[in-house]
Amino acid sequence: MNTALRSDAIAPALRLDQCRKGATVRVTGLIGQPLFGTQDERVSLRLKELGFLPGAPLKVIGFGLLGSDPLAVQVNGTKFALRRAEAAKICVEPIDNPSL
Amino acid sequence: MSTPIRFALIGNPNCGKTSLFNRLTGARAKVANYPGVTVERRSGMVTGLTQPAELLDLPGTYSLFVTSPDEQVARDVILGQLAGERRPDLLIAVIDACNLRLGLRLVMELKSLNRPMILALNQMDEAKRRGISINTAALSQAIGIPIIETVAVNSQGVAELRKVLDGYAQQPAAPEGEQTLTLSDRQESVEALYAEIESIISQHVIQPAHLPRWQDRLDSLVMHPLLGLVVLFSILLVIFQAVFAWANPVVDLIDAGVIGLGGLVGAVLPDGILKDFIVDGLIAGVGGVLVFLPQIIILFFFILVLEDTGYLTRAAFLLDRPMRGLGLSGRSFIPLLSSFACAVPGIMATRTIADPRERFITIMVAPLMTCSARLPVYALIIAAFIPEQTVWGFFNLQGLTLFALYFAGVASAALIAWLMRRRASGREEFPLLLELPTYRWPMAYHLLMGLRERAWIFIRRVGTIILALSIVLWFLATFPGAPADATLPAIDYSFAGQLGHFMQPLFAPLGFNWQMCIALIPAMGAREVAVSALATVYAVGEESIDVALGSALAASWSLPVAYAYLAWFVYAPQCISTIAVVKRETNSAKATTFFTIYLFALAYFAAWATYQIASAIVG
Repeated sequence: MNTALRSDAIAPALRLDQCRKGATVRVTGLIGQPLFGTQDERVSLRLKELGFLPGAPLKVIGFGLLGSDPLAVQVNGTKFALRRAEAAKICVEPIDNPSL
Repeated sequence: MSTPIRFALIGNPNCGKTSLFNRLTGARAKVANYPGVTVERRSGMVTGLTQPAELLDLPGTYSLFVTSPDEQVARDVILGQLAGERRPDLLIAVIDACNLRLGLRLVMELKSLNRPMILALNQMDEAKRRGISINTAALSQAIGIPIIETVAVNSQGVAELRKVLDGYAQQPAAPEGEQTLTLSDRQESVEALYAEIESIISQHVIQPAHLPRWQDRLDSLVMHPLLGLVVLFSILLVIFQAVFAWANPVVDLIDAGVIGLGGLVGAVLPDGILKDFIVDGLIAGVGGVLVFLPQIIILFFFILVLEDTGYLTRAAFLLDRPMRGLGLSGRSFIPLLSSFACAVPGIMATRTIADPRERFITIMVAPLMTCSARLPVYALIIAAFIPEQTVWGFFNLQGLTLFALYFAGVASAALIAWLMRRRASGREEFPLLLELPTYRWPMAYHLLMGLRERAWIFIRRVGTIILALSIVLWFLATFPGAPADATLPAIDYSFAGQLGHFMQPLFAPLGFNWQMCIALIPAMGAREVAVSALATVYAVGEESIDVALGSALAASWSLPVAYAYLAWFVYAPQCISTIAVVKRETNSAKATTFFTIYLFALAYFAAWATYQIASAIVG
């Protein structure tokens, strides 16, 4: 069990898979995803390695055709395609940006 | 002599390791703009050093804590865990300067291995163009690793890298050794590592906040859920149109040349066995295949352009959801697309797929993507049977037929993947996590090298395997000669004739005549040989050798038979190399047997159904 992940998950207000196209958000933490079963810890690690870490700014840049899946996001200047299952592991908060 | 020192290139996917490898060793390994082009280790000797030194090119990886078979290769080589492989003496970490954070993270992880390492900061030209300014000296000091700035595609900085490597090459190679690493060995948390990287970057690098705007604009078009699909299908349709419409004049020219050469040689040589051999065996057989070189080149031109721009991963993004319904994913898209060139590299490219079940299904259906070796067979039959006319204003009917044949393969692959997935429900899902590289204008150098390579592979196949099979077939079609009291054409008494007549009853329900049956056997070696085999069999059988093969076929096959033969080739005769690579990649005799039998059965059934239905319609 990865307790570090669970503690991040206290009252997640918003998850990445709930964001709209064009939204600019900041990562607050990662939570577990039962869909990945025993692989979940590994998926969390890989997400972190790719830069989905607390504080990292994200931009949602697009969605796939069916069920808005997968979604494309930009993190640290690099674009990634994520499925909703992975995106649901990522807790985010909107970035207050008066200029937007 | 002592063993040469070993260098290994390691870095994130798509950061330019293979470009550097090509520059340093003079090799011509494939490079393109998508993650996962290199899926196995590759080795070469570094040129221009005073001491011999070996360089390893490895598949890209984001981390030593790997998730897919190609990443596993990179990690095993680095740690010296690959059986019979001495671990590298020096790691050359390659970082894309436009993607510093991701690259530096892997470097910091590698640093904890405490191995000699230098860093090649690649794609510096593009970084400067984007306004990224890196204080290399200070960065080098901060991370404690020597840094060399490189631009792999222009060989800039490669000379300096070579000089540094020459210094290391003077040292003796290290003895055997192995390092182990498990998930729990992760000493520092990812968070702490990134915090360190953030602080280093903020001190020594100035980065603009945004990518160039045109990149984002392009993405909002090609990744649009609806417009993106329109773009994708338009691109595919244009490719198939081009393969026919653009190639035809050149094909006709080569065709006329081959026939002319046959006539010329026929006129010069005295009648006899030598003339028959050269005209019917060599010129008809080999020339019959060589004719299709322009089409192969046009097909590869488009594939190379798509690979080099970075568009492929966007197509994978668009198709991920539809493909998931079939038990595949966007990750299977690129291996499947590669299979349009040839199923062998396509099946190897499945190593980038993390999910074993998905990888298995992708391997099983990859040969249903029409490989370029089938193109000559399709092109020959289409040109002979489908009228060259324009439909709906601008579509070439022959091009449309070709598109339909490719589509039949894709649709069948979808159906079979879906059937296979249904047998394995309730499994764990795997993440997609696919990096979408920045767009790049396709480089003329890559295109020319790629086309040259492809043309050369095709010509070499024509000159070796196809030539050899044509010669064998000519002998089989010529000997033994007809008996004195022969009532049938001489070829009916030859070995090929006998074999064809022996096989024919098995294929009679499909409408195949014995000549077609003969052509199926050498096609197992290389599918194009079906064309040269038909050319030889018909050239030996016919009295006049000055008719093009297409006309000979049009005269002797009915339309339903031609369709049935096309249907057969959509599915089957997997060449031996495909079966061999399936065996190697699945490492299972059972899977390989299943693969072989199911494709043959499908080919037989499809050809039978096509023949019966087409016969009923044509009447």
